[in-house]
Order: sequence, then C-alpha cells, then structure tokens
Amino acid sequence: MSETGGKIRRTIFDAIVFAYLVIFVLVAIMRPDSDELIEQMGFNVALFFGLAFMGGVISLAVSAKGIKTLGEVIYAPAHRRTVSDPDTPLWQTFWGVQLILALIATFVLGWVLTEVNPLLLIEAEPISQAMRLFAEVADPDWSILPKAIMKIIESIFIAFMATAFAVPIAFVLSFISARNIMGKSPIGMVIYTLLRVSFNLSRSIEPILWAIIFTIWVSFGPFAGMLALMVHSIASLAKQYSEIVEGVSDGPIEGIEATGAGRLQTVWFAIVPQIVLPYISYTIYRWDTNLRMATILGFVGGGGIGTMLMEYQGQSRWPQVGTIIVVMAFVVWVMDAFSSHVRAAIK
Amino acid sequence: MSQPILSIRNLVKTYPNGVRALKGVSFDVKRGEFLVIIGLSGSGKSTLLRCLNRLHEPTSGEIIFRSESDGMRKEFDIAKAEGKQIYEVRRKIGMIFQHFNIIERHSVINNVLYGSLGRTSAWRSILGLYSQEDRRKAKDYLDLVGIGDKAHYRASQLSGGQQQRVAIARALMQSPEILLADEPVASLDPATCHTVMDYLRKVNTELGLTVICNLHFLSLVRQYGTRVIALKAGELVYEGHPNDIDEAWFARIYGEGAREVHVN
Repeated sequence: MSETGGKIRRTIFDAIVFAYLVIFVLVAIMRPDSDELIEQMGFNVALFFGLAFMGGVISLAVSAKGIKTLGEVIYAPAHRRTVSDPDTPLWQTFWGVQLILALIATFVLGWVLTEVNPLLLIEAEPISQAMRLFAEVADPDWSILPKAIMKIIESIFIAFMATAFAVPIAFVLSFISARNIMGKSPIGMVIYTLLRVSFNLSRSIEPILWAIIFTIWVSFGPFAGMLALMVHSIASLAKQYSEIVEGVSDGPIEGIEATGAGRLQTVWFAIVPQIVLPYISYTIYRWDTNLRMATILGFVGGGGIGTMLMEYQGQSRWPQVGTIIVVMAFVVWVMDAFSSHVRAAIK
Repeated sequence: MSQPILSIRNLVKTYPNGVRALKGVSFDVKRGEFLVIIGLSGSGKSTLLRCLNRLHEPTSGEIIFRSESDGMRKEFDIAKAEGKQIYEVRRKIGMIFQHFNIIERHSVINNVLYGSLGRTSAWRSILGLYSQEDRRKAKDYLDLVGIGDKAHYRASQLSGGQQQRVAIARALMQSPEILLADEPVASLDPATCHTVMDYLRKVNTELGLTVICNLHFLSLVRQYGTRVIALKAGELVYEGHPNDIDEAWFARIYGEGAREVHVN
C-alpha cells in the first residue's frame, strides 16, 4: 500500500467513524422514526457528508500532532506500523477510545434495529404453540420416507453435477487468474484483474439468487438448481484454486524451466504436482457445501428435497417436515464427516 | 587454444525495484574448465548464473555462446535470444540449484526424464511417451551418479545429497554443453557435500562438460575449481587461479574482518 493511499484511506475511515458517532448521538437524542428519516434523506446525506468532512479535518489535525487514530492503526503501510506501547491501556489511547465508542454505538444500534426483545421468548401462549410444533416435528411421519430419499438423492446429484461441471472450468481459469503466472505482462494483468473481479461479483450473488435467474431461463427443476450451484462453484473454486497456484514454490518452476521446457510443460510438471492435493481437498469441500445449498434450492424451484420441504411446510404438515429434516441432517452429516476425513487423509 | 565457450561483456542486470545486481561484468569461460564464482550473499552470483540461461532477463550487455553440439558450430548472443531460442539456450545449458528444485512427489526416474522436456513435444511428455533411447539414457545417468537402484523411489524419499544427484542426472539428460551450479552444496552437510562435488568434477573431467559453479567455501574452491572469479556488489573484483587467493584478496572480496571457514 502506498504512502498517500494509506493516508487517504486513514482519513476517509476516521471521517466515517466520526460522522457515524455524531449521527448516533443525534438519533439517540431526537429519536426520529424511519419514515421521517426516509423523507429527509437528502438532508441526512448532506449532514453525513458535512460531518464526515469535519471528521476528516479532525483526523488530519490529530495525526499531524503524531497521535495514532483508528484509521492509522488499520490502514498504515507496513513500514510505518509500530507496536503499541503495551503499558498504555486501550482506553487511554485516542484510537482505543474511537474503537470502544464505535463498538458500543454499533451494538446499541444493532439491538434497536434487530428489535431484540428477550421478553417475547418467555410469553406463555407462543411458547406452548412452539412446543406443539416441536412435538409434531419430533414425531416424523415415516410413510413419506421413500419419497424423501428419492428427493435427497436428487439433491446429492445436483450438488455432484454442479461440482463436476465446475471443476474443469475452474481448473483452467485458475491458471489464467493467478498473479504469478499472469503478472509478467500488462495484457496478463488485465486478464487477471478482469477474471478476479468477475469471480468476486458472481460469488457475491448467493446460489439461491442464481437459482431464481435460472428457473426463469430453463424453467423450474433440478437443472436450474444445478446451474445455479455451478456458476457459484466456478467462481469460488477458481478463486481458491488460483490462490493455491499463487502459493506454489518457485524452486521446481525454475528447475523445470532450466531444462528448456515450454510454458505448458512447466505448468504441468512444476506447478500441477504441487497443487493436486489442495485442489482435491477444496473440491470435496465444495461438493459438501453444494450439498447443503442444494437441499434448500427447492424453495425457489431449484429441485431436490427443498421442493418437498417447502410444500409440507406451506401446508403446516409438521410430522412430514420432521421426516425431511431428519433425512437432510443425516445426509449432510455423513457427507460432512466423509469430506473432512478425506481432507485430513490427503494433507 | 580454442575460443572461449562463453564471452560475457558488460553484463548489467537491474531489477524492477531498482536493485543493481550486476553492474557491467565481463569475463570469458573456457571450454571444459571448472569455473568457480565466489562472493558474499547478494554479490550477484545467483543473478549472474540465471542471466546465462535466461531464467532472468539481462538488462544490457552481451553473452556470446559458441555452441558446438549436435556436430554444429553456432555462435550467438544469449542476451538477445528471443522466443524459441531461449528454450534452445536453456536446453544446451543444464542447471542445478541450492534447493535441488526437483519434483519431490514424482519418481526419481521421471525427474531425470524431465531433462528431456526441451526436445520432447508437450503432449508426448504429458502422456509420458518418452523415447526408448531417452529412457535408457535416464537410467545410465542415474547409474553415473550412483543411484541407479533408486530409480523408482519417490524423489522425496531420498536424502538431500541423493536429491542433488538426481538434479545432476536431470541436467545431464539435456546433453548440455555447460552446467551451471548455484550453491550446489550449501544445503548439504559437509560429508555429503564432497560426494556431490566429486560428481560435478566427474562430469567435468569425464564428460568434458564446462562447469560454472557458485560456491561459499574457499576450501572447496581450491579443491575443485580450475579457475575462479569473484564478485563484489555486482562487480568483478578478481579473476585467477584458486590457490592465488591470499589473505589480502580474501579480505578484499569478503570484507575486512571476515575469516575463512574450512569444510572437509
């Protein structure tokens, strides 16, 4: 991180923290409801930026005096990072106070926004209702077991096919999105950056949202669910794979290059042997994760056992829901145990 | 007397971060000699070797290579080689490394066969379709470095000294004209160290290979080198016979107050 870049980030961070704290105090005093806040959005945004500007000025002034701000602690470049004096307690440092105030404000705000209300948990009537539901779920209707098994098998294969299609694509992509392979030329860096950005974008869209898109594209059913998981898996695996490629040691690469081997040969003989085991490990873990997601994709029409769960849940048929939960939990548990065993074995 | 196999002139290497590793180095390498390069860590020894086979890109200067392999005489500037020519240069110049740089998960014999990658097409090598002749050669070279019985071991099962001998066999597999050795014994214990150096001398005297070797210990330099050059801060400060390095020169190369350590 460059010197100026670090300073800009530090100032922006401190500015936002300052604006956040002042607005928190204002809201606590004036107690506006959210409709009022929405109506006055223009003013609120202006207020925020005004306060942020003040915060930025304060940050610069404080930093100029050599006092460490929270932004400095987080964004200082490595060479300027100094160990804090262990004898000074946190609350006697400027950045410590900033941190403590921000955490307190955030926790209080969170309490209000998530409508935390412990009293609701101990009201008598809702408790008995919940208990009745638990009792019904805990007494599964085993007559639908064969159907549930058929559907969980569908889920397992949705997860498997998504992983199987994603692996070869991610394998190829992982090399052209690894900095140590692409970083040698400007064109390489462009491809690297474009791929990394697109991986991050498609990963930030959850599979359940991809499933909604694909149910429109290829209509409802397991194919849509499989495609959704595949897109998500390609991005996740390619990113994880390429990080493994970036971590390989240079020695064997030099060793193979020195024999006059071509680029493809160097990748195949020097890099691939180093990455095979971690690739397998990540792939099995991905299948495992895909299976968990495949069980709920049915909620948006992505096939598998989730479809069944949604139907019974919609009709409040709790004993049937109980059966499905048991089947899901069992299969996910077995898969999880298998996956961690294999991953431990190949370490 | 024949012309030098390599003529290095004004070789400069400046890294992108501004470090000037080589500041205009010039020297000749005679055909068939065992040339040792000495100098402190960071003096540019490793960079120099890596420029010779274009693992690193020289910034400027000439590296004239007078190749005589395959019954052909050819003279060209390694520093100006491009594209496929770079692979050809590397094929004709074998290299071994301080950390061996073999593929530990693969078998010993396969590691040796990788020395033939430069003359084997990508798909043949990936499918493991090496010629019968190459397979026989690989076996012969393993015998030459005394580990013929270890051919089907996984390379990681071998000791450090044995792994370095695998690396030598791999380099020989290239049928090179020059062998570069970058601190070949720096990560080995003193006893093993001599075994490996003896094999390097063997390929130098018996196969007539020109060896260019970076070394730390002066005692080894005197024992194995036929000629020595010294680098200091990217500049050539000494060129001559190993036994002519007296205390005054030693202090100049390694700095005042340095003391010689003996390995045996």
